[in-house]
Amino acid sequence: MIEHLAPEIVNGIVLGAFYAIIAIGLSLIMNLTGTINLAHGSFMTLAGYLAFTLMSRGSNFWFALAASAICTAIIGLVVERLLISPLYKRVPLYSLLLTFGLSLVFEEVFRLIWGPSTVPFSAPPELSGATQIGDVFLPTYRLFIMVALVVVMVALLVFLYRTRLGLRLRGAVQDAEMLAALGTNTQLLYMTNFGLGILLAAIAGVLAAGLLGLGPTMGNDLLMPAFITVVIGGMGSLAGSIVGGLLVGLAISITTLYLPAASEVIMYVLMAVVLLIRPRGLFGEEGIFG
Amino acid sequence: MSDARLLEVERINTYYGKSHILHDVSLHVEQGEIVTLLGLNGAGKTTTLRSILGLTPPRTGTVKLNGRELRGLAPHAVARLGVGYVPEGRRMFKNLSVLENLQLAERGTVGDGWTIGRVYDRFPKLKELAGRKSGRLSGGEQEMLAIGRALVGNPKLILVDEPSQGLAPIIVIELYKTLEELRRQGASILLVEQNALLALKVSQRAYVIDDGHIVHTGAADELAHDQPRIRGLMGLREDEDIPA
Ligand SMILES: Nc1ncnc2c1ncn2[C@@H]1O[C@H](COP(=O)(O)OP(=O)(O)OP(=O)(O)O)[C@@H](O)[C@H]1O
Ligand SMILES: [Mg+2]
Repeated sequence: MIEHLAPEIVNGIVLGAFYAIIAIGLSLIMNLTGTINLAHGSFMTLAGYLAFTLMSRGSNFWFALAASAICTAIIGLVVERLLISPLYKRVPLYSLLLTFGLSLVFEEVFRLIWGPSTVPFSAPPELSGATQIGDVFLPTYRLFIMVALVVVMVALLVFLYRTRLGLRLRGAVQDAEMLAALGTNTQLLYMTNFGLGILLAAIAGVLAAGLLGLGPTMGNDLLMPAFITVVIGGMGSLAGSIVGGLLVGLAISITTLYLPAASEVIMYVLMAVVLLIRPRGLFGEEGIFG
Repeated sequence: MSDARLLEVERINTYYGKSHILHDVSLHVEQGEIVTLLGLNGAGKTTTLRSILGLTPPRTGTVKLNGRELRGLAPHAVARLGVGYVPEGRRMFKNLSVLENLQLAERGTVGDGWTIGRVYDRFPKLKELAGRKSGRLSGGEQEMLAIGRALVGNPKLILVDEPSQGLAPIIVIELYKTLEELRRQGASILLVEQNALLALKVSQRAYVIDDGHIVHTGAADELAHDQPRIRGLMGLREDEDIPA
């Protein structure tokens, strides 16, 4: 029993951690500027492809991970300044449409450059194989992803709660105009915040590529569960994103084991149930930094 | 330039979308003055302050601080040039602690300027509450924090919007003592109030704004004795007594 379940639970936690990281990035961006970033998944895919290209030219995995995450975040900053920031004064529908359009453009560009099917993206040798924990063998790369995503989340928390910039972000979420009146350049803050969300997506994108396979729609395939995670966890709650992500990930992986036919719909069921009981999601009241 | 006024607002016109709110508003504040801007609900007092700060930039006219043009600058640039803001309703960062609210605003301390430590010395209550979320403070404590938050930015001029709103009378008296004391220490304040008599007591000069037009300007004590105008400002009938 446990031998069957343990790998699925690890699967679920790994998937859930991805959803959580993506959801946190979405929430950061949504909270501060009201932008629903439908291009979030595209940035994940982009980071995956950049890492793939670097590795196919001889770079090792670690350098590829760092370099592609940073490049993707910088591309994110440019996109925010040139395309998204002019829409901040308008209703969120505009940026929603813009980022939706962007995601379509990105996908076509991926197809043009890297082809329509998945490319071989393998985890580095030091992370392949399996690791024995107690009586069960678990894939090393999955364990690594769990650890890596936990490190990323802790780093994010330290940034938000222990640095001046993090403090400004938390303040801006509550009242950006007042923050500006106290001397903070909020446009710069919006840009940084967007870049941060994209950085999280990019790291997740490279890690996911080694696990799920890298194709033009990889990121977008993860985006729907991530949005559901945001809704389940409660709009804008950091803790909610983490708990929500794990719930969705576990629900999907366990359903896959026992009732494969339902694995696609289980997250919607979960969302419906949570919203029936708590219309604002599990941690809805607090706001992301509450 | 050295003889330029601290704040000089000249013939500004400000709009919210298509509605024209401020009509050729002019006013000035000299170094070391408290100047009050009085007016009824919706007269355009807050809009005047927002215009100075660049939060709602005027379409025409000029706003100068020590001779330097502010119109066209982003709010954070105006703030950094030395305009502090104590907004209507206090606008706390509710989920942040008292200390964090101050940290967000601390800037430009030189010599004997304001630091968080000095604000704590002046308002010991804030030091006691340093770790508490500002949303959980009382109205009076929040107003003190809003003032402290403006002070740690070390502004040349502080814009204060209806500080007495929603506060108990004793707290209001204490608040006004604080404003007077700040002025004696050299602060310059542009004060907006509905509570006309109280504001006039601490002010040197006053302006009255009505429907976006400046309709009166003069010494504060003269206006305080202009009973019909005070009645009008406080929305009282001619036969009603002016509350002390
Ligand atoms: N954001 C806004 N959009 C459109 N109109 C506005 C906005 N804010 C204020 N107004 C209008 O501008 C006019 C002036 O408002 P303002 O807030 O400056 O008045 P005020 O003198 O500060 O009043 P109060 O004493 O109620 O604070 C009012 O008629 C108000 O309805
Ligand atoms: Mg007002």
